[in-house]
Amino acid sequence: MNKKAFATMTFVLVTFALLAACAPAPTATPVPPTAVPPTAAPKPTEVPKPTAAPAAKLERNIKVGIVDTYTGGPAVYGNDALNGWKLALNEINKSGVLGAKIDFVTRDDKYAPDTALSMAKELVLQEKVDVLVGTINSAASLAISAYAKEQKTPFIVWIAKSENITGKSGHRYVFSTSENTAMAGKAGAQALAKKPYVKYWIAGEDYEYGHAIADSAWNNLKQLKPDVQKAGETWWKTGEPDLTSYLNAIMTAKPDAVIFATGGAGMTNVLKTAKTIGLSDKIPVWVHTAIDHAVLKPLGANAPAGVMGTMDYLFYYPDTPTNQAFAKAFQDAYGTPPGFAAFHAWTTANLIAEAFKKAESLDKEKFIDAMEGLKAQTPIGEVEMRACDHQAVLPMFMGVTKKDAKYPDFLIAGDLVKVEGKDVMPSCDDIKKARGQ
Amino acid sequence: MDPAALSSQILIGLSRAMILFIVSAGLSFVLGVLRVPNIAHGSLYMIGAFAAFTVATLLQRNPAGFWIALVVAPLVVAAVGLVIERVLLAHLYQREHLMLILFTFAVGLVLNDLVKIVWGADYRSIMPPPLLSGAVSLGDISIPRYNFFLLILGPIVAVAMWLFVNKTKIGKISRAAAVDREMVGVLGINVSWVFAAAFVIGCFLAGLGGALVAPMTSISLGMDHTIIIESFLIVTIGGLGNIWGALIGALIFGLTQSVGLLVLPQFAVVFPYAAVVIVLWLRPRGLLRSVW
Amino acid sequence: MNRFVESRWLGAVAAVLCLLLILPLFAPEFYIYILALILVTALLAMSLNLALGYGGIYQFHHAVFYGVGAYAVALMITRASLPWWISFIAGPMVAALTGLLIGWFCIRLTKLYFGMLQISLGSLIWIIVYRWYDFTGGDNGIHDIPMPVFLMSTNSVYYFILAIVAVCLIALYLIVKSPFGATLQAIRDNPQRCEAVGVNVRQHQLMAIVVAAFFAGVAGVLFVGLERSVFPNMLFWVLSLEIFVMCLLGGWFTFAGPLLGAAIVVALRTFVSQYTDYYTMILGIILILLIFFLPEGVMGFILEKSMPRTQSSEGGR
Repeated sequence: MNKKAFATMTFVLVTFALLAACAPAPTATPVPPTAVPPTAAPKPTEVPKPTAAPAAKLERNIKVGIVDTYTGGPAVYGNDALNGWKLALNEINKSGVLGAKIDFVTRDDKYAPDTALSMAKELVLQEKVDVLVGTINSAASLAISAYAKEQKTPFIVWIAKSENITGKSGHRYVFSTSENTAMAGKAGAQALAKKPYVKYWIAGEDYEYGHAIADSAWNNLKQLKPDVQKAGETWWKTGEPDLTSYLNAIMTAKPDAVIFATGGAGMTNVLKTAKTIGLSDKIPVWVHTAIDHAVLKPLGANAPAGVMGTMDYLFYYPDTPTNQAFAKAFQDAYGTPPGFAAFHAWTTANLIAEAFKKAESLDKEKFIDAMEGLKAQTPIGEVEMRACDHQAVLPMFMGVTKKDAKYPDFLIAGDLVKVEGKDVMPSCDDIKKARGQ
Repeated sequence: MDPAALSSQILIGLSRAMILFIVSAGLSFVLGVLRVPNIAHGSLYMIGAFAAFTVATLLQRNPAGFWIALVVAPLVVAAVGLVIERVLLAHLYQREHLMLILFTFAVGLVLNDLVKIVWGADYRSIMPPPLLSGAVSLGDISIPRYNFFLLILGPIVAVAMWLFVNKTKIGKISRAAAVDREMVGVLGINVSWVFAAAFVIGCFLAGLGGALVAPMTSISLGMDHTIIIESFLIVTIGGLGNIWGALIGALIFGLTQSVGLLVLPQFAVVFPYAAVVIVLWLRPRGLLRSVW
Repeated sequence: MNRFVESRWLGAVAAVLCLLLILPLFAPEFYIYILALILVTALLAMSLNLALGYGGIYQFHHAVFYGVGAYAVALMITRASLPWWISFIAGPMVAALTGLLIGWFCIRLTKLYFGMLQISLGSLIWIIVYRWYDFTGGDNGIHDIPMPVFLMSTNSVYYFILAIVAVCLIALYLIVKSPFGATLQAIRDNPQRCEAVGVNVRQHQLMAIVVAAFFAGVAGVLFVGLERSVFPNMLFWVLSLEIFVMCLLGGWFTFAGPLLGAAIVVALRTFVSQYTDYYTMILGIILILLIFFLPEGVMGFILEKSMPRTQSSEGGR
């Protein structure tokens, strides 16, 4: 090999390395351990605010460790959550939490649960974080949850939707600020039970989330309306690019309605194919998160109208001043409306801040005690962290996709109905039973 | 079984096979001529899809936007391939095959992160051009017009590849180089540029596959994952390095899947692997003659 | 290898071992954990290398045996409530059995065909694990697997893993140096000639696959001991590719190369990821640089530098 070739090669590689180093990071510029979001640093001399109570002061900043996915398909949600989190922290750190601030570090688990677990260990052992937060991957969340229990470190799940997290596998040290498959399925079932359909086809992506959503929806529907029948099931692997053959096979079977149980990119794919082959015109379709903005946005004005969906956060509904303010602040900061992950993250940040204020201490046990039953303000109203299972009580919104003059570039959900969280969550007794207590 | 359903599934399976064929043909060609199992092929396919998205979105107003994207995106990928080949790969041909696997793996890692840097993590989607959007109704079922387009394009690519390999000088040389590269070198032919051309063509086909799949699916990071394993399996059952083998392999994949769905819809995940096991059990060296 | 060089290597190994033994006395807990993880991954990579480097077998889906070993332990403990030591012994056995089964199917094939058939068969096992929610936990995996009290602290797990890995590496070394190992390498270098002199090539290769699967199973068991969790992606082809890369990176014609490769990959992932989300890109760049500057892998390079005279005796590869 000649010298020139070597030189060119090295040059190219170094350029790539530089690119990697100073990439216009779409994800968090991973904050080096000590770096704080660039808000005004607390002056050591700053006098505590003249509040009535002799406010306790935290001896140091609160440190939160985030493990989430910033690579591959699920990165959409990881980034969204991180943005929501940063937006919330900017506000929180302005006034501070008992004289301290919330610092955070992030780790990209690449959607691999073993990597996620390894990184959680690093955050606990090396970074000595006070609270762990993450992740979109249910398997990773369950693994970290088990580790959090062992280390007696609180872990808050903010995107993963497996009902096992706060159900069967729940314990004192794990919390969820995300709606779960049990809630989503039940909400969907309640909507479908009111419809006249009898023969259902169930289809989805072949992974836990898909099956859990489908099972929950189906079992609840069966309870609410015993005469429904399952005509058949279709499952395709995650990341399947071309769904035409699958959806066509479903159309051939002529069910009354279809329940699709997919997430993320797969959902966009389902809607796109359903529209192309006319499935969504001929057969009523219900999908959890069909009305998710991250799903509808890529399809633009070409998304199918009339698809039923459920969602736990929409930036345009409820149309309250607080929600408008949150959506606007988010839009101004990141150039896109907030998704549900951003909402969860925002809620999580506020719950953490409130819990430390209530606990008046950095002690992890006191933090957990404070979290239980804690209520925090969110853009869509007050959200409670249920004490018995550490699951946030989130409302669900059901609606149907439609075009709207206000948003010419994409579809939104219309005919929205709010379902209260307590109506779709498993009862505390059910949770106890599931945990074998 | 309803004959209409069956025939529509066969049509869809065939059109699905066409994209698989185009991507696998690229992989197979590189494997045949260069003896490089290109693990970065999936990443190149993903770049093709994203590039098609960018071009089509930029030319949204232009009715020919999609067609331009269909040409430009593979060319972009081919250019990426050219750079990789000339700057890096060209210096490695004397190395062990396994080392080349390591190399293409590393290139794939770099390319995947570059895609994330350039395009971000959002899901993207483009629509087929007006001419090809919508579906043709056949009774209760309907087949997207776009799939018919694929059914026409696939054979065209196959024939073009055949003409290239058999009728052009560079194609003949590459075919000869695949069999015995020392001999071709001895004949005074600059093998280096033949290899570069072969690699670039392989990349072009990966990019073409990516651009073609773009209107049918959601374009997202991680789409390299599924395609790479599928195309490697297709290339293997067809006979390594054999373009027609890639076509047969792709047809087997496409058809077992779409027809299998009518029989056992809940086990769709198993079909491709089961197909490979059966084929290799019967024909341990692939269906058609391999150059390996 | 001459005696002098041999003793020098022995000294180096002893020194490393001593260092590993006393490290928990002063190193932070996290580093001990990472070291344990590296040891487990290294055993996995070195078991692959028995088939790949010494046997010349395109073992493309080695992770299956790792995952099967891990799942066997996890299931025996959580579902059958067997005592931990029975599960720990049975895990590698199940992995070896899987190796025998898959190997028997694949052994008629060669090179890439062998590799791709193995990937297909392995993926079928992966699908079972991934989908059988009631039994294997599906893609959620199994977590919080109970372990004996003496394996509950990081340090004790580390010593346990160190001891088992050391024993396994010695065993692997002895296998490589045994007549069986020599035959295996002869088959790798010239299968036709071996066949001609009456060696049962396929039987030897199958044996190598089974032994490699056994040690991969041991690594899987140790992973469960360390992480107390199992995931289906432990038997997904992506992991197989990663360990494959570790072997190539470290140098697959050397005994200790894969160990080094595993250490480099795990360490890079752990430490670079603390500074950038683009650590796979950094890993890619480092790999490319290594391919260009160290054609025989990292360990091959070290060997070449440390004993230039023995190079010819290693065979002119």
